[in-house]
Amino acid sequence: MLVPDTLEGAVLLSVIDFFLSFVVIAAIGLVLAAFPWLDRIAQPGVKDSIEE
Amino acid sequence: MHDQLILFLEALLKQTGLQELWWGNLVMIAVGCAMIYLATAKHFEPYLLIGIGFACIVTNVPGSDLIKQGGLFHYAYQGVNLLILPPLIFLGVGAMTDFGPMIANPRLVILGAGAHLGIFVALIGAKLWGFSIQEAGATGIIGGADGPMAIFVTVTLAPHLLPQISVAAYSYMALMPLIQPPVMRLLTTKEERLIRMEQPRQVSQLEKIAFPIVIAVIVNLFLPPVAPLITMLAFGNLLKEVGAVERLSRTAANGIMNVVTIALTVAIGSTMSADTFLTVKTLQIVFLGLVAFVFGTASGVLTAKIMNLFLTKKINPLIGSAGIASVPIAARVSAVVAQQEDKRNYLIYQAMGPNLAGVFGTAISGGIMLALLRAG
Repeated sequence: MLVPDTLEGAVLLSVIDFFLSFVVIAAIGLVLAAFPWLDRIAQPGVKDSIEE
Repeated sequence: MHDQLILFLEALLKQTGLQELWWGNLVMIAVGCAMIYLATAKHFEPYLLIGIGFACIVTNVPGSDLIKQGGLFHYAYQGVNLLILPPLIFLGVGAMTDFGPMIANPRLVILGAGAHLGIFVALIGAKLWGFSIQEAGATGIIGGADGPMAIFVTVTLAPHLLPQISVAAYSYMALMPLIQPPVMRLLTTKEERLIRMEQPRQVSQLEKIAFPIVIAVIVNLFLPPVAPLITMLAFGNLLKEVGAVERLSRTAANGIMNVVTIALTVAIGSTMSADTFLTVKTLQIVFLGLVAFVFGTASGVLTAKIMNLFLTKKINPLIGSAGIASVPIAARVSAVVAQQEDKRNYLIYQAMGPNLAGVFGTAISGGIMLALLRAG
């Protein structure tokens, strides 16, 4: 176990976890933002949703 | 002959549970009966409370063989203990879920992280109250408002707290329509509650098929502790979205889901014995669970308000509280509160985006917690 079983450990865990959850979910959001490109790759002749 | 008769009667009495019955058992039997009453008369989470309530009653009848080694309830609990049942629940959830609202509006996924401050407030509160850090982590995850995730984290970090944490998590999820609206109204102005949001774009089938595959890869790569849950969520969703295996998708969403729900609820109820449940810690967990939900709702709304400082197309901050997970209850609460201000403001689709993102937010928070707190 990397986190000490103390109040300071609990605060440290909370700060790290809360911050990292933003980072990871923002990364998922960035991946999702690229999803409209899938339609363009799949059907290059069709107007895709990026232009909406 | 008279002595033999007394001997026989004594032997019969000894093999019953009557001698071990104490007032705590009677209290928990009453709790089980109350759960069944709430489920049947008030339609309060019936799919969960019937099984939990019945198993709670049986568990508190001393002498019951069902909960002992080799008993049926004991094996049902092994499904939880070995982390088999929660991922199967997520298989069914994935097969029932449309992730379109989340894919359509990627900027709203941030709310799925923002609405989880309650997890950490409860975690710190539990530590202040003398819980071990693993117990505090398991208690905090109630704030993620995700039943299977709460069970998954608790079985790993603090299995002795499973009955309290699972009952608290599912109970507060059902009470969201009561807990959230006052917090939402307190932290928003009338003008903010009246904000209308444009309809999100249409999401193609290709995107909906790619989504579970991409998510499964990301979670297995970066969050292996919670990969079993999210991978099965992704698999169930893939079965639904490909459209070519409708029989499998229907089985996952109905047959498997129903069987696993029965086993899971019985397993949870079978852990609610009087000597483990009637403790001060139970009351503390119940209180901290409420704190987690209140702070999670508040942090979700405030995250949306902070985002609005940087956005030209404003978000209605009421959908921020939907990031607390508990699909689709939290999204419905956001939509209902918005409609109470303006009957023609339909926010349910927009609220589903952060609501679905909240499932991943809880998984991320839980995964990091497990990675840092698992012994060895």
